[in-house]
Amino acid sequence: MTATNYFTRYRHIAPLAVFRIMFGAVLFISTCRFIAKGWVRDFYIKPAFHFPFIGFEWIHPHGAVFMYTLYALMALSALLVCLGLYYRIATCLFFLCFCYAELLDKTYYLNHYYLVTIFSFLLILVPANRYFSFDVLRRPSLRATRVPAWTILMLKYQLCIIYCCAGLSKLTSDWLLLAMPLRIWLPAKASIPLIGPLLNHVWVAYFFSWASALFDLSIAFILLNNSSRRFGYFLVIIFHVLTAILFQIGMFPWLMMSATLIFFSENFHIRVINILRKIFSIPSPSQHEERLPEFRPTIQRLMPGFLACYFLFQVLFPFRFLLYPGNLLWTEEGYRFSWRVMLMEKGGTSFFFVKNGATGRKFEVNNSDFLTPYQERMMETQPDMILQYAHMLKEFYQRQGIDSPEVTVQCYVALNGRRSRLFIDSSVNLAAEKETWFGHKPWILPFTNN
Amino acid sequence: MIRKKILKTVTGIFVTAMILISCSKSGNKTNTGPPSGDTDTVLVNLGTNIIVPAYQQLASATASLDAAVTTFNAGPSLNTLNDLQTAFKNAYKAWAGCSEFEFGPATDLFLTTHFINSFPTDTVTIKNNVGGVTYAIDGIGNYAAQGFPALDYLIFAYGNDVTLARFTSDAKAAGAKAYMAVLSASIKTKAAGVVNAWSKTGGNYLTTFINGTGVDAGSSLSLLANAYIQDFDVNLQNFKIGIPIGMYGPSVLPIAPAKVEAYYSGLSVQLLVAQVQAYQKIYLGGLNEKVAASKVQNGSVSLDAAIQTELSTLLSKIQALPDPLSAGIQQNDPSIGDAYTEIRKTTVLLKVDMSSALGIKISFQDDDGD
Repeated sequence: MTATNYFTRYRHIAPLAVFRIMFGAVLFISTCRFIAKGWVRDFYIKPAFHFPFIGFEWIHPHGAVFMYTLYALMALSALLVCLGLYYRIATCLFFLCFCYAELLDKTYYLNHYYLVTIFSFLLILVPANRYFSFDVLRRPSLRATRVPAWTILMLKYQLCIIYCCAGLSKLTSDWLLLAMPLRIWLPAKASIPLIGPLLNHVWVAYFFSWASALFDLSIAFILLNNSSRRFGYFLVIIFHVLTAILFQIGMFPWLMMSATLIFFSENFHIRVINILRKIFSIPSPSQHEERLPEFRPTIQRLMPGFLACYFLFQVLFPFRFLLYPGNLLWTEEGYRFSWRVMLMEKGGTSFFFVKNGATGRKFEVNNSDFLTPYQERMMETQPDMILQYAHMLKEFYQRQGIDSPEVTVQCYVALNGRRSRLFIDSSVNLAAEKETWFGHKPWILPFTNN
Repeated sequence: MIRKKILKTVTGIFVTAMILISCSKSGNKTNTGPPSGDTDTVLVNLGTNIIVPAYQQLASATASLDAAVTTFNAGPSLNTLNDLQTAFKNAYKAWAGCSEFEFGPATDLFLTTHFINSFPTDTVTIKNNVGGVTYAIDGIGNYAAQGFPALDYLIFAYGNDVTLARFTSDAKAAGAKAYMAVLSASIKTKAAGVVNAWSKTGGNYLTTFINGTGVDAGSSLSLLANAYIQDFDVNLQNFKIGIPIGMYGPSVLPIAPAKVEAYYSGLSVQLLVAQVQAYQKIYLGGLNEKVAASKVQNGSVSLDAAIQTELSTLLSKIQALPDPLSAGIQQNDPSIGDAYTEIRKTTVLLKVDMSSALGIKISFQDDDGD
């Protein structure tokens, strides 16, 4: 490879350093917020049952001390990432702790947690600690001023994929032709200052639907282009601030607004660092010579192939839903890990029945005996969780002495303002159905649009 | 320099955004400030004309109940017992109009189903408390030995003659009187406390309620709808009918008539009617407007019309229940199964369709979405 290659040529390291600082800071705040809101207790300590992801049924929460230690470690490692102190260990530690917590229970899956997982993984791969960091103070020999362009480009491309997929996922008739679910959500915000009164109008819901789809589809290209970048970032701020005001989405807007700074030029980032230097009165380093980080030859050789595979996966995985029959919003087969954000207003209620195969006695289950209200709500609209819950019930009642419990469910779901209808075939014994990695679930009743 | 300008603009926008957001967030939660933007007339109506009057009704009925207990304790007779029983019925029915509002002051001051209406009542603990065991009225383990079900047991379980004897000639008469006085005083205090907490001159929760616009977790509409649906789904569907007719659990008997609400006085059906009427009143107090505004259709009729019809149908089925309910359950009266099916339909409409049309999440967790 030559030094003129677009991906391997050397660029200034400042964008990586700024990304590291911003991302670490947002994650530190978001982890502290998570702990302060009592969610560690509510999500991982209180519930008796959990909904692990397929393949990870072997991981479980381990009580209060363990979970709080985990989140404390997470907060600490996020802070270390921000400071650039013991960076390699900190990024790995954060990534592992975060993945572990996310894999414990599907109930709490959010696209922005997936985004955090991905970026904390990508941060492990790049030498973002080699400039303006405590690691450099600790070991000045680590200092580098230029890095191969791919280390910065991959962060940009990952963001491009996220926005493009989010945009493509909005190209549905519900979103574009019915302005659903914004039509339900916006009027509920009619009492906020300034824009509130506007939100009662249906055309505003249409405007927001179309504008946000257009934004998601085009923003990557606007940000990549030098001449339109400032305008693009202005749009990013407008868009994410609006979502922060209108919806309850926690740290996500802040995460995106800080992450998209990566698109700015290296001069911009150098300037940011100079300002930070001034604020914290950190003297500029005396040496001004250019220094390049050294990569191990094996890493140099393997990285292009690895990144090619990684991005191929990132581009293809969100489209796996095409392989399933039926309406994606209804079945949610291939819904997660695909940047489908705020696409539906979906609610359900479920009545589970257990039948003792031996005696024929059938009784109803009180879901709140097993699940927290939050788990119950998420379970009631997601078929894979319904199946997991049915299996939990089967195992529970087997321990209670019922040899072959049959589990059926009457589950009603309403999607995007349509009347509720039966969601799951209520004659199917879910205790006998198996979960598969990517298999279609034939017992989800077809979605009929009335 | 142009770069400097970009940086300044970006920082400026960031800071403005931060301020905007923190304002809009705090606007939802402040207790005393003026309402931000438009006030929500539905919240005004629900708070002022439905919730506060319901609590006032409960406070006055429980004050009368407490007074009737005092009169009875001073001179137990058939007359004072009858008066006490009437006062009890009125107060219990007033509770049926308040159990839907389990949020805010009600939760803070223990005016909740857990403390006010846990049934079947814990007769063993009641007997112990009457017999002189030390107890804390709201202590752990005492929740099922208090509230209306405990009074229901004390003044109806043995018929009027035996009841009078238990409060006069019985060795534990003094203890029975004392415990009954504590029970009625406790309900009265809680109800009065909640009325005070809502009133403008007290805690002024009414203003908090009216200002808590929107549908996020913590907004008034979300709190109300969650409490309303929880009361319907859990208290009415499961506890008042489902469990007595033996819907739950593999180990219980097929039916458990003694587990109905107000088993001893036989008020079960009257209380159910009062409760369903309360649901209707709350729904028509403004939730209907919001559902109608969502323009969701239920086949050829609007969702709003469908919910109104369903609540009326449910009321007629509840009114047709055999009285007393426990005897009807014992005899497997088919109208109970009918009513239960209707309750199911209503649960789906309220929990799924209504909350979906309102954009409210049914869950008691303050979580992030995406």
